[in-house]
Amino acid sequence: MNKPRIERFTFPERMTHWLTAISFVYAGLSGTALWSRKMWWTASVLGGGETIRAWHPIGGVVFALLLALMFRRWATQMKIDADDRRWLAVSHKYAIHDEAGVPESGRFNAGQKMLFWVQSVSAIVLFASGIVLWFPELMPRGLRLIAILTHPLAAVASLGGIVVHVYMTTLVVPGALNAMLRGWVTPGWAASHHAKWFRAVQRK
Amino acid sequence: MQKVAKLIDTTLCIGCKACEVACQQWNDQEFTMGVFNNTYQTMPSLAHNFWNLIQFNELEINGAQSWLMAKYQCMHCADAGCIKACPAPGAIVQNANGIVDFNQDNCIGCGYCITGCPFDVPRLSPTTKKVYKCSLCSDRVAVGLEPSCIKACPTSCLSFGTRDALHHNASKRAEELRADGHAQAGVYDGPGVGGTNVIYVLKHADRPQDYGLPKDPHIPWTVSLWKGPVKWLGNAVFFGGLLTALVHYIKVGPKEAHRDE
Ligand code: HEM
Ligand code: SF4
Repeated sequence: MNKPRIERFTFPERMTHWLTAISFVYAGLSGTALWSRKMWWTASVLGGGETIRAWHPIGGVVFALLLALMFRRWATQMKIDADDRRWLAVSHKYAIHDEAGVPESGRFNAGQKMLFWVQSVSAIVLFASGIVLWFPELMPRGLRLIAILTHPLAAVASLGGIVVHVYMTTLVVPGALNAMLRGWVTPGWAASHHAKWFRAVQRK
Repeated sequence: MQKVAKLIDTTLCIGCKACEVACQQWNDQEFTMGVFNNTYQTMPSLAHNFWNLIQFNELEINGAQSWLMAKYQCMHCADAGCIKACPAPGAIVQNANGIVDFNQDNCIGCGYCITGCPFDVPRLSPTTKKVYKCSLCSDRVAVGLEPSCIKACPTSCLSFGTRDALHHNASKRAEELRADGHAQAGVYDGPGVGGTNVIYVLKHADRPQDYGLPKDPHIPWTVSLWKGPVKWLGNAVFFGGLLTALVHYIKVGPKEAHRDE
């Protein structure tokens, strides 16, 4: 009532995001158990080795389907434009909050767009290689040898991206987490972090 | 502890399949009917409930019809690809005597070992979703008996003993064959996988593929890359990321909204 609010993410957007996040955390944790003996305890937490062997691929497929929904909703907004390219060139300045020469961002800044593309590409690789690992007895040896390498590589890319993403949205940009949970931001927040988007919303 | 081994002198195999039967019986496997495909071979390949197969390789070598019979089973590698690939603690163990043994209680059925094995030996059971293969009768060996296949062999094609002694016998036998005019006779024991504890004497050691054995067995390079550099990269990305975030937070901190409207 007191502070004006701007809607940033609709309810379907937020639901898709969080369901994707949950399935990702499940796939990531259960996958990590197989990644390293030192991480085997995650298997115990998730119900034991045979359980994760059976459910990791299912969780992974759910993740991939949800990400496909997210892709359909956001892909057009995630195109990298000329401002984004300049943004990426000076992203080291963005990182230390020296934003004088950093181009203004639209609804998503170039860093968020990069995360989106890294996740999309790695999800495709995870899905394709995951299917091969899922049914070893049906797959030719050559494919299995490729999958055994590409699946964890794509998982590393995707988990690496998520570490940065979670850090940025929980600790670096106050208000970002609330935007995804409750859906709104303040005008000041929008003007500070997504100026082009803010002006477009104001014009409406 | 001394490494134990099985020696297979392929020149003495008569294709009687006594070893197959003994293996099935000792390990309490039921027999699954196979297909008849115009060979004497019991089935096309190993199965989750069939760990010891005599391959009947019929080919023409130097214009002569040859029938190369070769026993096919787990090779019990020193540097075992299945162990390298397996994610489940305790699912595959390598005993001090060199036997590589699967423990189905700990197996999760991922099939990674099948991909890691250079000899294509482990087989996944469609019913139990666990992998199985020859154990070199670890249960018999533990109480001082020889493996069942060796017990059953009516010729001296198969023998069991310490690896050193058998390796010596194998070299001697190969020498004998060469003296007999088989210039290419030799010993096959997988140096690329640190040596196997199943050793072959082959009349045509220059062409092991003709016996159904890989020419130069080694752990596949994608498996080595996956279990080596890819692990390091992953750890560097993950822990490097966390550390960078911590330093960033302490040094630079949050990005405050700097405009009010
Ligand atoms: C997209 C659908 C996916 C499918 C079908 C899939 C399937 C599989 C399968 C079959 C395995 C072998 C063991 C098992 O079954 O548990 C595996 C391992 C693994 N998965 Fe997935 N997965 C998918 C997505 C993901 C995602 C989203 C992640 C996390 C970012 C992930 C991370 C891993 C890791 C780290 C391993 C272990 C790799 C290793 O042993 O080095 N997977 N996956
Ligand atoms: S199938 Fe079983 S023995 Fe083979 S790698 Fe997986 S857990 Fe290990």
